[in-house]
Amino acid sequence: MLELDGATKRFGGRVALDACSFVARPGRLTGFLGPNGAGKTTAMRTVFGLVELDAGTVRWRGGPIGPEERGRFGYMPEERGLYPRMQVRDQLVYLGRLCGRPRRAVERTVDAWLDRLGLAARANDRLDALSHGNQQRVQLIAALVNEPDLLVLDEPFAGLDPLAMASMSALLAELAAAGATVLFSSHQLDLVEDICEDVVIIDAGRIVRAGDLAALRAAVPQRFVSVRYRGCPPDWSRLPTVAVVDQAAGRARLRVDRDSDLATVVAVVGQAAELVSFAYEPPSLSELFREAVAA
Amino acid sequence: MNGTRQAWLVAAREVRERGRSRAFLVSFVLMLLAAATAVALPALLDSGPGTKDVGLSGPAPAAFGPALEAQGQAVDTTIRLQRYDTVAAGQAAVRDGDIDVLVVDARRLEWRTRADEQLQAVVTGAIQLVAVQERAAAAGIDADELAVIVAPVPVTNVELGQVAGRSPDDETAAFIMTVVLFGAISTYGAMVLSGVVEEKASRTVEVLLARMPARHLLAGKVAGIGVLGLAQVVAVAVVALVAAGTVDSVDIPAVRSSVLAWAVVWFVLGYALYATVFGTLGSLASRTEDASSVTGPVTVVLVLAFVVSFAAIGSADTTWARLVSWFPITAPLAMPNRIAMGAATWWDPLVAVALTLGAIAVLVVLGGRIYTRAILHSGSMLTLGEAWRDAVSAGATAAARPRRTGPARP
Repeated sequence: MLELDGATKRFGGRVALDACSFVARPGRLTGFLGPNGAGKTTAMRTVFGLVELDAGTVRWRGGPIGPEERGRFGYMPEERGLYPRMQVRDQLVYLGRLCGRPRRAVERTVDAWLDRLGLAARANDRLDALSHGNQQRVQLIAALVNEPDLLVLDEPFAGLDPLAMASMSALLAELAAAGATVLFSSHQLDLVEDICEDVVIIDAGRIVRAGDLAALRAAVPQRFVSVRYRGCPPDWSRLPTVAVVDQAAGRARLRVDRDSDLATVVAVVGQAAELVSFAYEPPSLSELFREAVAA
Repeated sequence: MNGTRQAWLVAAREVRERGRSRAFLVSFVLMLLAAATAVALPALLDSGPGTKDVGLSGPAPAAFGPALEAQGQAVDTTIRLQRYDTVAAGQAAVRDGDIDVLVVDARRLEWRTRADEQLQAVVTGAIQLVAVQERAAAAGIDADELAVIVAPVPVTNVELGQVAGRSPDDETAAFIMTVVLFGAISTYGAMVLSGVVEEKASRTVEVLLARMPARHLLAGKVAGIGVLGLAQVVAVAVVALVAAGTVDSVDIPAVRSSVLAWAVVWFVLGYALYATVFGTLGSLASRTEDASSVTGPVTVVLVLAFVVSFAAIGSADTTWARLVSWFPITAPLAMPNRIAMGAATWWDPLVAVALTLGAIAVLVVLGGRIYTRAILHSGSMLTLGEAWRDAVSAGATAAARPRRTGPARP
């Protein structure tokens, strides 16, 4: 388990991290969300000692993080970059050996990943001879060369096409299922909602939500009702506790309190139109995010 | 992970990747060719100091040819005579370089550019001798008597050199060493600089620093390029020596092997000192274009050190030369000079080595800190002052807290 405990970092007068505390648990995908400039990259860098904290600690499996621990971490920085003129396989083996693994073991891991991501034929090409998509794959392998227990990825989905996104999601889920702790930042809230068990939301250096995604959604006092109908638009003003979030011809999305009487909603629809479908659900991740960040 | 092993991996990568790059190999081959050429070419172009071609035009006494040959032999020079029917033909031969000098009417010497002083003396001597012989014959002096009268007095030349008690060979060795050390330190220091900037500009550095501390990365890079540089300098030196031995041209000063050993030591120390500074300052630049502006001041210091060390050769025994050879910034260039000049006592180099090692240690610690602060800073170029303040304030907080990221949980 990765744990930030009261992590605080100032850059000059600006507070980048303000007593941040959250955990990322093994075997689960943790999505790290927040507006640009909220502190995601700084928080991730603290794990690797790239940013020295002014206060607070970062712990791995309950203990401090030293070179030994970092040798078992994988990291994909937001600003991608590897040696452009170095051969792909040489470069990956070098990065794996820097983690302290013996050459043979690294070579096996690198070859397996090159093979799996369809890069085996390009192993001896210079990195800058590869397409953008393939360079992204090499960058991902660079984070995996030491078969890490903890994988930290800064915007791994940025710039990927839909197919690459799907295979990246599958790959991260697979690594988590194999027992790794996976923390990644993203602005793709729908995707995070689909694949993450846990989320952490940071805003202006403060952690505003953290934990199991389903539990966070359930904990919000509001619920959302999505209705589809055939006929005239219902007169929502007759329901004072209901707020219309979105409406268009034949459908509406309403925000209601958790304990409100749904029968009255059905009744109001029935007075004007024929109800086609009705869904009652906790907020989506993007609704949760907007609510958390706006607060 | 053991830091030494990481630094070793970094160094090995530098040697491997640079060693296999085409640009490096091409420049290396060119360097070897240039060294061999510089040494061998003068000997190959010159028909040798032993042979001179002299053209004759117009009337000349019959004795002039033999007298010229005899005068030449006296200074180990073979004179080859060419006769030209017209002055114009002789002048054309001078201009084409076929002959070294044209003697017109046994009175006028015509050269292509400046007169070759030795050849001038030989030809003039022959003209004078023939004239003396003719006048002696006219005055009735016997040829044998004349030979006794004009028999040459042997004169020897001694090269004093600039400094009493030092051979010019020592000075030559000191000059060559200063130039080579300066060139090598600037070349390989610049290589460290470009390597650091390249890593930062390509953002590779964040991937690396997630795995290792900045000081191991910097130390490994400096060591790798240093090994490569030393190998290259030694290879060039060997080629130059072999070329010199083969064509027997340049008079290689009889340099003591201890002087050469010290030159290697001072290359290593001087390179380590300046490369650390270059690497540290390189971390301030975000783009390759900024690299030269951040390192400008160091380059100026290096050039000044070169000038001062050069000046110190001529006054190797003075107190200021001794101080210059101790001071870490100038020691790598000035101390090998004084050793070559035989001006250094046995403990002089040891003092300088100790001071320079101390300076390198300080620079590595400070440089490592500034490098760590600056290397992840992207966007506008950092000034040294900003990086320094960051490094100092972070150093203070780090000292106030336990080194690792936190106490272990019970």
